[in-house]
Amino acid sequence: MPAAARSVNVVFDAALGHRAADPLALALVLVLESRGEAQLIALNISTANLQAAAMALTIRNFYRPSAGLREAPVGLLASAKLNEKTTMTSIPLAKRDAEGRPVYSHSISKLTDTADSIALVRNALASQSDESAVVVLTGPATTLARYLEMPGSKDLVARKVSQLVIAWGEFPESSADFAMTADPDSAKRVLSEWPTPIFVVGRDVSEEVKFPASSIDKDFSWASNHPVADAYRAFHTMPYDAPTGSLAAALFALKPEEEYFIPSDPGRFEVLADGRTTFIASPTGRHRYLSLAPEKKGALAGRYVELASSRSAVPASRGGRGRGAPGAAAGPAGRGQQQAPISPAQ
Amino acid sequence: MMTVITGKALPRRTFLKGVGTALALPFLDAMTPAFGATEQSPLRAVWCYVPCGKDMRNWNPSWEGPFQDLPPILQPLEELRGDFTQLSNLTHAAANAWSDGGGDHGRAGGNYLTGVHVRKSATDPSAGISCDQVIANKIGSATRFPSLQIGLEDAKQTGSCDSGYSCAYTNNLSWRSPTQPLPPILEPRSLFDRLFGDGTVLSPEERREEDAARRSIFSFLNADIKKLASTLGPSDRRKLDEYTTSIREVEVQLQKAEKDNSHVDPKMERPYGTPPDFATHFKLMTEMLTIAFQADLTRVVTFLMTRESSQRTYPEIGIPEAHHQISHHGNNIQTMDKIAKLNTYHVTQFAQWVERLKATSEGDSNLLNNSIIIYGSGLADGNSHIHEDLPTILVGNGGGYFKHGRRLVYQKETPMANLWLAIMDRMGVSLDQFGDSTGPLEGLNVS
Repeated sequence: MPAAARSVNVVFDAALGHRAADPLALALVLVLESRGEAQLIALNISTANLQAAAMALTIRNFYRPSAGLREAPVGLLASAKLNEKTTMTSIPLAKRDAEGRPVYSHSISKLTDTADSIALVRNALASQSDESAVVVLTGPATTLARYLEMPGSKDLVARKVSQLVIAWGEFPESSADFAMTADPDSAKRVLSEWPTPIFVVGRDVSEEVKFPASSIDKDFSWASNHPVADAYRAFHTMPYDAPTGSLAAALFALKPEEEYFIPSDPGRFEVLADGRTTFIASPTGRHRYLSLAPEKKGALAGRYVELASSRSAVPASRGGRGRGAPGAAAGPAGRGQQQAPISPAQ
Repeated sequence: MMTVITGKALPRRTFLKGVGTALALPFLDAMTPAFGATEQSPLRAVWCYVPCGKDMRNWNPSWEGPFQDLPPILQPLEELRGDFTQLSNLTHAAANAWSDGGGDHGRAGGNYLTGVHVRKSATDPSAGISCDQVIANKIGSATRFPSLQIGLEDAKQTGSCDSGYSCAYTNNLSWRSPTQPLPPILEPRSLFDRLFGDGTVLSPEERREEDAARRSIFSFLNADIKKLASTLGPSDRRKLDEYTTSIREVEVQLQKAEKDNSHVDPKMERPYGTPPDFATHFKLMTEMLTIAFQADLTRVVTFLMTRESSQRTYPEIGIPEAHHQISHHGNNIQTMDKIAKLNTYHVTQFAQWVERLKATSEGDSNLLNNSIIIYGSGLADGNSHIHEDLPTILVGNGGGYFKHGRRLVYQKETPMANLWLAIMDRMGVSLDQFGDSTGPLEGLNVS
């Protein structure tokens, strides 16, 4: 593995299943992790849907071969306001091979196979060096808002987190975003109380550079069964080019030096009653929204494809069977993992 | 069934004749619950700690919910299956290394009842106030001893016992303050003397004279200490303040004893020496503990059955190697089986004590019904030094509160401190947060 010039510790919080680019963004993080340029310290699902957690774990394990008996759990917010099943997760998880076995196996079949979201995020941050972590949020802010209610949480965030990057809305004025309408109170709380700088990627950036559908069949074909590609195909009728807000948030959080994005002047976001956001410029504000750097816009889609579709840099000998190894197809459950398919009815 | 009669410090014959008279009296604060039904029997909280983790293959069953076949290590509790709950996925995340490197045993011990990431130091330990002391600070004034700390192994307090972590972490469960551990009493005779005196039956006048002499000594000490404090730097003044606080607490106990002026007759011989085998030592200590509960001498106990990195061997059950040594089993099946055997041996002794508590009546119930007992460890798999899914059982009904006979599995990373919050709340201390808690553990009293 090449030595990393800079490794960023990432908390990734998503409502997997509601944005086409969420699995792509997670893949981007994991590819950079395999290259030693990032470390996913907590993976949290801010919906109450078990399949979303199972899909997140499947994707993570695809890129990160099991290193032994213990695997870090995926957080699931059991009390989240968003909890419906989505095709993005249900269809890939129901996929079977020729022998009728699940193509994607994982160890999540019940709530207690996941982690308490708030404890997961808190524990991940507590173990980091100061200002070494970034938080990427692409779904409702419920977990982060609940975490802010805990004594000592703001001090810990202020010490450990350098920035929060969110994929929401549209700026300066936005239309309602599902992540905010699902839980506007939490959105308001995070925007008003989060103690570090906040950067927001809006729909304008998300729509301006889209992820090409053609890449799904071309660039992900190195694996006969690729969970990220399958999730993309299951989300919407193909072919469709996907908005890339989640990818933009992940890329800016981990690689700001690549300067694909230009932060606005400082200000503060406010969530309106109907779930839209508005940005008020203020020299003392800690919020900024991101715009695309004009000179780099043409290369951005290619950068997304290159990162999201890359193979894990971890050699096959370090991992479990058939997981994430370059050129290897995702196979049945490796040693130490239960084969626990979740039926579409769950 | 054991009964304990307490009363005034009178010659035995007079004392026995006095039983009828005592029963006729209205309930007094100086009387113990053993005299008759109380309006509400006191609750006790006890933590029994066994180190170096468990053989989790034989601790965690494959099922959850109502008990099915108990896993092998818990089978000694078969007759008590309606009196305990197995709790799974409780975690002490703050006991992980973070950036401190080795020392999981030290961290496990220091973190267990404090819920904090302890300081890595062999000379300047710092933990937090343990939850038993939080409870003792609230309710301790109701009993002769606000809390009690007992153990069966080494109580060395200085030096490094694990990778640069002070022995204070591995050898104590209770912490009065972040820097002040409360060492356990190890010897049965010491515990006996502490609880019941040295066996001399003093008349009330003789006892008052003895207390007065002792009090004058402390006054002398107080004067000297004040003089000394004026010459010390801040750090030493802090240490001196902690010491004088301890002395003041002894003074308070003396004053209470003077008011109480009662003598507890444990109806057992004063022990001599420490039994060489674990089972006998354990039985002796828990017999005294049972009497202490009956006499309401204390309601908060921590029992460090053996300490982290325990060097204790168990030749009596065919295990000549040290506990810590075999806990690093290296995935060798035979060694793992030895750990399971040892774990079962510990639970067997514990189960026998719990049965005695259940057989000891208290009012219209029994001691077990009015107790909250945690039996557990700050490590899961001792070989890998895992601080999650810590082996934990909750025993005793907490005054009819808990619903038992099942295994409750929580979401992973659920803080163990959430359980401590729930116990503290049941014991009359309601806090919003303790250690790394995220909220009181739910579901303990719901079927």
